[in-house]
Amino acid sequence: MTDYAHPEVLVDTNWVRDHLNDPKVRLVEVDVDTKSYDAGHIPGALGFNWQTQLQDQVRRDIISQQDLEKLLSASGIKPTDAIILYGDNSNWFACYAFWILKFYGHTDVRLLNGGRLKWLNESDKPMTTEKPSPAPSNYKISGTHPELRAKLPDVLQIVEDHGQNLIDVRSTDEYTGKIIAPPGMSETAQRPGHVPTAQSIPWSLAANTADGTFKSCDELRAVYFEKGGVDRDKPTVTYCRIGERSSHTWFVLTYLLGQNNVRNYDGSWTEYGSVVGVPIER
Amino acid sequence: MKIGKHIMSEIIPAEKQTTSIAINHHGTRVYESIFDMLPSVDNPTPLVRISRLNPEPGLSLFAKLEWVNPFGSVKDRAAAYMLRELERTGSVSATRGIVEATSGNTGLSLAGMAGAKGYHTTVVVPNQIPEEKKILLKIVGAQLEVLNDSLCPTPGLGDGSINRARTHARAEPDKYVHPNQYVNQQNIQAHYETTGPEIWRQTEGRVTHLFVSLGTCGTATGTSRFLKSKNPNIRVVAVQPSAGHDVPGLRNVAQLEVSELLDRALIDDLLEIEYELAYRRALDLCRKEGLLAGPSSGLIFEGARRIAVRDKVGLGVMIFCDNILKYTSSMVRHLPELSDDAARQTRE
Repeated sequence: MTDYAHPEVLVDTNWVRDHLNDPKVRLVEVDVDTKSYDAGHIPGALGFNWQTQLQDQVRRDIISQQDLEKLLSASGIKPTDAIILYGDNSNWFACYAFWILKFYGHTDVRLLNGGRLKWLNESDKPMTTEKPSPAPSNYKISGTHPELRAKLPDVLQIVEDHGQNLIDVRSTDEYTGKIIAPPGMSETAQRPGHVPTAQSIPWSLAANTADGTFKSCDELRAVYFEKGGVDRDKPTVTYCRIGERSSHTWFVLTYLLGQNNVRNYDGSWTEYGSVVGVPIER
Repeated sequence: MKIGKHIMSEIIPAEKQTTSIAINHHGTRVYESIFDMLPSVDNPTPLVRISRLNPEPGLSLFAKLEWVNPFGSVKDRAAAYMLRELERTGSVSATRGIVEATSGNTGLSLAGMAGAKGYHTTVVVPNQIPEEKKILLKIVGAQLEVLNDSLCPTPGLGDGSINRARTHARAEPDKYVHPNQYVNQQNIQAHYETTGPEIWRQTEGRVTHLFVSLGTCGTATGTSRFLKSKNPNIRVVAVQPSAGHDVPGLRNVAQLEVSELLDRALIDDLLEIEYELAYRRALDLCRKEGLLAGPSSGLIFEGARRIAVRDKVGLGVMIFCDNILKYTSSMVRHLPELSDDAARQTRE
């Protein structure tokens, strides 16, 4: 991990095993499939449901500052704790939670490299169905970082002036408009296709298929800069369908490759592909 | 039904009823329990000749009707062997049941057998399997977990059905044991000891071609290994659906590398066939041969037809894994003429 720009934000499975009883280390599992945590998780880990706990439950938006303070307080998490995130699908929603926690200014957030699948595949790593009952804390958010988030007008500005990298991290079939969403996924849009000027660099190119860990720094540079055509001197916006896969790429560009000014467009295709009158390419 | 009971109790005195009937006799088919009905070389599943639909009379084609098994599919064989091994090693009990990932048939066999033995079963299935299978799994008493996963669960990759089953077994080892049909050698052994010897005896050693499809690959590997030990010249033909298919339990050719039970050296021909033909040929078999064959059987039959035309002479055996009854909704989806709208238009 040492070649990465910020290797301190990644931990491996052995490190987690060795810190299972560290009171300053708080494990949180966030999955695409919200039932996975109940089936079995790392001992001591909390489970956050991305649909009901990381989203506003009335309007379409990320969780509000007030609700995140409530969630972290109920979880017994303090602003000085290290939050170690992990989840399924090579950490899709763990990256989404990482992005939200950084948006709301939590200092020490890290990812378990490889997520729950790597843990499951190692026979010396324990799993349990027991849920922790933490003593509540009183978490207060001291500042937010809206500069980590792109919104629709930002994306339309890029379409207009080509001033930033715009990366579509969905599958090729979604990018070309052959499908609107991957099979079985319920969130969809009115139209298939992609945002004009967007480069197609599927999120999966950043992960090793064997164990879900991130590729090496050299491999990632090749994916994004040499083959992908990302201009290192420009700001970047990433998008996918609902903002979780694009969080994965946002994490890679920001923390592993050290790019400045990378933003996640969490409205993504379910927003853009449903807006009346915006330009679409297929 | 009632009449039969009256006859039994009135003609044969109660104290003599159990001794007067030959139990576990395959000739009269009276059994002590469902487990005694499981297939073996002395109780093989039937071979039935394809008559009207065989394009090459020089190469006889016989369908091996695996739906005659007690729980309705070829998977009874692997399930029985895996369950027997779990019992032998003391791995199951009244409190420690089974968790398995399945596209349906293995789950039906395991849950049905486990229920009869008093073990609980949890099955994890992909959401794309037919609704009939989901309902049947509940009927036989399985706890059902439905995941967004590919039709034939893929080991090692992603977070699908197999890894959910593994998670249960890891997190609650006192409650679950995971036989894992995708890597369990009993899956091969079952076919090496039953399917292969059955075919050899049924064909009097004259079999020249074996037609199978590949999912877990237990059937292909076990059966082929036995038959080739008897006659190395027997050709094994694997028939797989094209990409994007909708045939539960089977893998596309590109997905085969994840099948740990596959022994590629045993496969002589690997055919990839447009998956829609699985349904079309299943319909043909139902209508023209009286064989209520399911879609994987339809696919295998299409492969066998092509090889029959190519090779012209021999005796081919096709493994017909299960029947059509679990796939009625799939048939309607793939064959427009079966929908109510089509029927109405025909009447009009």
